[in-house]
Amino acid sequence: MLTHRSRTSVLVFLLPPLVVYGVAVLLPIVQSLVLSLFSWDGITAMQFVGVENYARMLAGDAVFWRAFANTLGYLTICLVLQLGGALVVASLILALPTGRELAKTLFLLPAVISTVAIAFLFQHIYSFDPPGLLNQVLDLVGLGGLQTPWLSDVSTVLVAVSAPEGWRFTGLYMLIIYAALAAVPKELEEAARLDGASWWQLFRQIRFPYIQPVWITTVIMATTYALRGFDIPYLLTNGGPGQSSELLTTYMYKTAFTSTDFGYASTVSVFIVIECLVAVGLITVLLRRRDA
Amino acid sequence: MTTGHLAQGRRAQDPRAKSPRAPGRRAPEHGTEHVMTATSQRAGRRGTAPRPSLPPAERRRRLDLHRSLTTVVVVLIVAVQVYPLVWLFLTALRTPADFASGNLFALPGEITADNFVRALGTGNLGLNILNSFVVTMGANVLIVLLGTMAAYALTVLGFRLSGVVRAVFLLGIIVPVQIALVPLFIDYSYVGLLDTYASMIIPLAGFALPMSVYLFSSFYSYIPGELYEAAMLDGAGPYRIFTQITFPMSLNTIVTVVMVNAIFIWNDFIFANTFVLSDGLRTIPLGLQNYIGAMGNVDWTATFAAVCVTITPLLLVFLVLNKAMIQGLESGATKG
Repeated sequence: MLTHRSRTSVLVFLLPPLVVYGVAVLLPIVQSLVLSLFSWDGITAMQFVGVENYARMLAGDAVFWRAFANTLGYLTICLVLQLGGALVVASLILALPTGRELAKTLFLLPAVISTVAIAFLFQHIYSFDPPGLLNQVLDLVGLGGLQTPWLSDVSTVLVAVSAPEGWRFTGLYMLIIYAALAAVPKELEEAARLDGASWWQLFRQIRFPYIQPVWITTVIMATTYALRGFDIPYLLTNGGPGQSSELLTTYMYKTAFTSTDFGYASTVSVFIVIECLVAVGLITVLLRRRDA
Repeated sequence: MTTGHLAQGRRAQDPRAKSPRAPGRRAPEHGTEHVMTATSQRAGRRGTAPRPSLPPAERRRRLDLHRSLTTVVVVLIVAVQVYPLVWLFLTALRTPADFASGNLFALPGEITADNFVRALGTGNLGLNILNSFVVTMGANVLIVLLGTMAAYALTVLGFRLSGVVRAVFLLGIIVPVQIALVPLFIDYSYVGLLDTYASMIIPLAGFALPMSVYLFSSFYSYIPGELYEAAMLDGAGPYRIFTQITFPMSLNTIVTVVMVNAIFIWNDFIFANTFVLSDGLRTIPLGLQNYIGAMGNVDWTATFAAVCVTITPLLLVFLVLNKAMIQGLESGATKG
């Protein structure tokens, strides 16, 4: 700490960032909390309704619960693809004799593509008529009977809108896990191998415990990002058909900007924030406890 | 967003991160145990019978087999991962008739650049790219400037409530951006900021700021205090120390922060889609979506070309800078 600092100098450095952060993040949180207690369409006068919005959301809104269930499904698919995929691919790339950098770079490529481009791409991958990439592959390997319009079939649409999000960021999490795995001391692995440890034992008892702190961070990252996932489902299906791919985020967006029900939309967005906080709390408690 | 930063940011939150080997804090217990059993068993074997193991040639053969198998699997996985992108570019080079004829796996029968000509002629992609550039630059300047300033106040200057302020910033990492959409929309319409560059730049910078503050803070906590003491003896005050010592020393962290944020800001869809109303301010994702809406079912191959045009600038930057980028992300993760 600088001893020559003055109160003014602290304020000079601290105020500008706090103002921008306050205007963009803190104030909107407070405003959402307030708005969630009102009924307002943006034009007529605001009407205080107390906790009525919350009551309606939790007790009387089937679409909300449908969207919540879909969000959990979306989260599960994203986590399996991103974290499971990342762990497997990172382990494999680590075992490569050469070309690791190239493999990592190529695998990371989808992370720099915009969601609009990804949504367009997957629209054509899932296309049924004319048959898109996926349906052609199925036909090619003799599974033509499984061909389906993935985005308009209510039983496949949730998986279909979740998979692109999983695909997009697997590379990012792979990179983080790869770096953690590469930092496991070679002596430990060598010693275990001489001990006759199988690949699985080596992974389970040496590598995984070693990367545990990074793993927790990665799980938190992937979970909070999946919970706020919006672009791809919004662009691909806009929640449809019906509500079969509606997420809390798309539901909130439509409530706000299509039905202009600002009060109720704020209630849903407050719920999304609480959901993220609860998820982070749960992950920290569960993973740390197993750790101890 | 700042996905990559979360890992790096943990350094600042996690008290254990003071030690550079923090990630392995638990592992040594496991590790030593294993090393010990390993050595004792080896010692035991040495005393009695030699270990019945495979002959070296056989072992090497197995290892080679194992390696080539891994290589084949990785090549397959990477191919599946990258193929959609290759397909995107291949389709953009097809003639419309070729695309309509159906087989999406065949190489284009005839390569044409016509699609690109039509895409650039119909859309407003040049203006979209310019807008994205303005927003990305503006937000990044704010993120770096405000991030270094806040980190300097929190970590180098220090003050009584710095812990509280740090915690308030920390909160921002897990707050989903959706919470800000309705309030900002209302606020903007009151102060006339709807449909401006600022309407995108402010929330993009605000939501990226927490990660940036943590990254810079954790870097600043490694700068030795002697450096500052020497500067103070020379008569430098807090402002000169910031502009002449702390800020210039942050260059590497600045590069990481800018690169990762640039990707997410360049591709931002949700803020632009909510706050931009006029054609002239559309960024690339909006322009592209507009193009897809207008031409997506009319001129397919040109739409593929338009998609390619919009993703190419960032792909090129990424391919050129990927070493630095990957290193930035990895170093963040291992120190996490």
